[in-house]
Amino acid sequence: MLPLLFWLAPVATLLALAFAWLFYQQMIRESEGNECMRRIAAHVRDGSRVYLARQYRLMGIVFVALFLLLVVLAFVLETHSRWLPAALVVGGVSSALAGFMGMHVATHAAGRTAQAATRSLAGAMQLAFRSGAVVGLVVVGIGLLNICGWFLLLRWLHPVPAGGDAALLVVVTTTLLTFGVGASLQALFARVAGGIFTKAADIGADIVGKIETGIPEDDPRNPAVIADNIGDNVGDVAGMGADLYESYTSSILATAALGAAALLGADDPGAQMAAVVAPMVIAGIGIVASIVGVYTVRTHERATQKELLQALARGTDLAAVLVIGGSALVIHALDLPNPWGIWGAVVAGMVTGLAIGRSTEYYTSSSHRPTRYIAGEANTGAATVIMAGIAVGMTSTAVPVFAVVVGIGAAFLFASGFNLGEVGMGLYGIGIAAVGMLTTLGITLASDAYGPIADNAGGNVEMCGLGVEIRQRTDALDALGNTTAATGKGFAIGSAALTALALLAAYIEVLRGALLEANILELPLPSADAVQTAEASLQQLVAFFDVTLLNPVVLLGVFLGATVSFVFSGLIIRAVGRAAGQMIEEVRRQIREIPGILSAQSEPDYARCVEIGTLAAQREMLLPAVLAVLTPVGVGLILGAAGVLGLLTGALATGFALAVFQSNAGGAWDNAKKYIEEGRFGGKGSDAHKAAVIGDTVGDPLKDTSGPSLNILIKLMSMVAIVMAAATLAWGLF
Amino acid sequence: MTTHVYLSVIPEALIVSMLPPEDFGLYYAVGTRQRSRGQAMFFEVDPTLAGLQPALEQARRRCVPHSDGRPKNSVYASIYRALERVPLNAFGALYLTTDDGRVLELESGKVEPEQTDTLHLYQEFCPITPRVVSRLAPLEFSRFITGPDLLIAIPRLVFCDLKLDGLAEDPVDGEAQDLPYPHLQHLRDCLSELRTDTHKVVKMVMRNAGGGIVYRTIRSGFFVGDASGLLYYPMPSPQTLEQHHRDWWRSALMSSLD
Repeated sequence: MLPLLFWLAPVATLLALAFAWLFYQQMIRESEGNECMRRIAAHVRDGSRVYLARQYRLMGIVFVALFLLLVVLAFVLETHSRWLPAALVVGGVSSALAGFMGMHVATHAAGRTAQAATRSLAGAMQLAFRSGAVVGLVVVGIGLLNICGWFLLLRWLHPVPAGGDAALLVVVTTTLLTFGVGASLQALFARVAGGIFTKAADIGADIVGKIETGIPEDDPRNPAVIADNIGDNVGDVAGMGADLYESYTSSILATAALGAAALLGADDPGAQMAAVVAPMVIAGIGIVASIVGVYTVRTHERATQKELLQALARGTDLAAVLVIGGSALVIHALDLPNPWGIWGAVVAGMVTGLAIGRSTEYYTSSSHRPTRYIAGEANTGAATVIMAGIAVGMTSTAVPVFAVVVGIGAAFLFASGFNLGEVGMGLYGIGIAAVGMLTTLGITLASDAYGPIADNAGGNVEMCGLGVEIRQRTDALDALGNTTAATGKGFAIGSAALTALALLAAYIEVLRGALLEANILELPLPSADAVQTAEASLQQLVAFFDVTLLNPVVLLGVFLGATVSFVFSGLIIRAVGRAAGQMIEEVRRQIREIPGILSAQSEPDYARCVEIGTLAAQREMLLPAVLAVLTPVGVGLILGAAGVLGLLTGALATGFALAVFQSNAGGAWDNAKKYIEEGRFGGKGSDAHKAAVIGDTVGDPLKDTSGPSLNILIKLMSMVAIVMAAATLAWGLF
Repeated sequence: MTTHVYLSVIPEALIVSMLPPEDFGLYYAVGTRQRSRGQAMFFEVDPTLAGLQPALEQARRRCVPHSDGRPKNSVYASIYRALERVPLNAFGALYLTTDDGRVLELESGKVEPEQTDTLHLYQEFCPITPRVVSRLAPLEFSRFITGPDLLIAIPRLVFCDLKLDGLAEDPVDGEAQDLPYPHLQHLRDCLSELRTDTHKVVKMVMRNAGGGIVYRTIRSGFFVGDASGLLYYPMPSPQTLEQHHRDWWRSALMSSLD
């Protein structure tokens, strides 16, 4: 029986979409400014559409191919669930839809924010933030609505297995997990290709513009300036949105699956259902809290940077407090076993997210010692700047990793009632912690998406030569966006790590389902009598697959997983270099061949730069994408399930730390340069500044492309492993 | 088409051109094919008052439009000892050009008297290019360098004074965080020496710093001086540049990335 509280989740999704529509209507009614502002905004909007159209075309081809493959696996070879092909398509399409809507809103909002800045700072901030809220609410609204819809549909349509309703819930939730693979694949396209595009455009614009030709940033004479603005939307709106959409949906789905498994055969038949719907209901509470939080974000006309930051923090903090209170009520109302323990897991997840955010801020903000240390090292040249950045990036991994370790440890202990033998509930607690961290995604993503909107608004104001006061307003909004972007990256990495952990735990449950599907109803165990597959504990399943460090197959998997993160990063950094190279050549060509560009007598061919960046991004993402998808498949077929678990563990451990390292080192290099530009160590034009510029250039692809792409890698590999679990069991050599 | 006569100070040259100052600055900075870039500084010169008349006349005769009607970009009248032969009364506006060809026009103004105990950092552009520190204010410095009393004097000098921030008052411990100069400690030493050695009025900091400057470091402006007088081209404040010459100012701040 479905608890009445479950309906809070779908109602919350409808609320999210309704408020997103309301905020969108409020934004679209605003003026887009004068002819120049409208023209620049239209260039960015059209270019973004061109980019997305090409990306979706390529994605369509890949999805059709995978759909056909899954149809063969599900209907011809009958090794996989028959829901899988449809789940792939729906997951991918809904994530793409969220991405498209996010880009649509952001590209309409930038020009309007610029125009609003001509009137007031407070008005411009509210418009930009509420436009960001549209992105956040669309992502959570579509994501949770899909989950609720599919959950209801599968419960209704799926035949009840031998174990009755309880077994049906396990089957439904593990089948639901495959819904995430479509979102994962779409996130791969959005994050990796988007990251390559954005950095190729940025580096192309910077190298030829700033360094070779001396054209400042956001100068309309630079042929790559529009591509650079599009890149902000592609990377930080569509890419970040798809990344967090995947984390959001996957964490809820994995937790539901873990809940169904943990309370299979519980004394209270309603407890299992409550555990399954709890993550959805908590996510629903998070949506309502986010909407309330959005309304509290406002500022006054003479606000300082600190006050602007406080205005944003007021919204996210209030949403967090509401979730903490609301989830306690919901968990008790659902009558879950050990309710305070599960609530503790929610809070553990939120605190972990907070700790990672604070740590990111500490290591990347010029208000703190690490970034100032890098800036100081610039006095002795580029080599010491790079060494300092690497050192700061590496040491910065300690706090987030420690936070996750403590967070998952606490979540496990709270949810299991401090009983290490209650592995099922403990793992459920880890899933709940991931859900807890992502509950307020509606408003945290609003803060992230606000960044590129403010950045583009600043570019628009710059290119149209508006007054000093207006530029000062958009500069203030942009600086705020830079801060939220840095913490947003930390949040994305942390949530990806927790989600991947939950998926790793859920993988064991998926293996159980695959065993049952393959009619392996009894598991022979090395140290005990055989157990029924359906009733085997997680420890017994792990023992059956021999997932121990003494099993060389597991160790091989761990080593391969650790290596994949590095190879994947290397391929992406190289891809950025190559794509940027093509962009640089094009910008040089235009400056050389189109007369009057530098004297502003003729307009550059912006569209050509966008096209080159788009094509390069799609082409260059293929190899890393193939690596991410085929590695778990190949390892599964050769090393079997134990090898896959080793692979996922190795990839998660190194991928998480590597992502934090790259993101924080890049952010710290960037802010060290800005710190010097503010008039330290010689300021602009000094040797220290030149060294810091080199550090920033090295850090650019790390923080904006390969670092964030690792989020996708660690989740996608888990998701592919889950989808291919049946094939791994059927055809794995070990 | 009108011909203009420009006196370039980086490098020293007298040039006849059919381009107005803004276009000439763009051409001079990035070239016709826009494949190079570099700072430029030049004065517009009144040809009727300029020296070098035979060479100038010859160059003006050669300065005719191209066969397709395009204006002639440049004809060099002199590339050596040009400055000393252009009298002060022939100097028009000064044009500062950024790496990417943005041009700022500076009109000459009145030299403001300065307090004498402040230390100065001067960048000389033409005909020699050292960077020096001095206890002399610009007018006295110009007289000192170009005056007949100095054994190694030069006839005329183009120079600017650069910011010293806290070093002007306290060379040892003064605030210098925003000064992009190389060898800052050496600069402190030179300034300290001037402070302690009361006989010394000028000390060289860098033998050759003629590759251009970071425009944001200019303190009061540019000077053209000789024994007869001093022309002063005041530099607008950063606020004025930000407000009224935004494109030039942004480009000028970029030149630091060389």
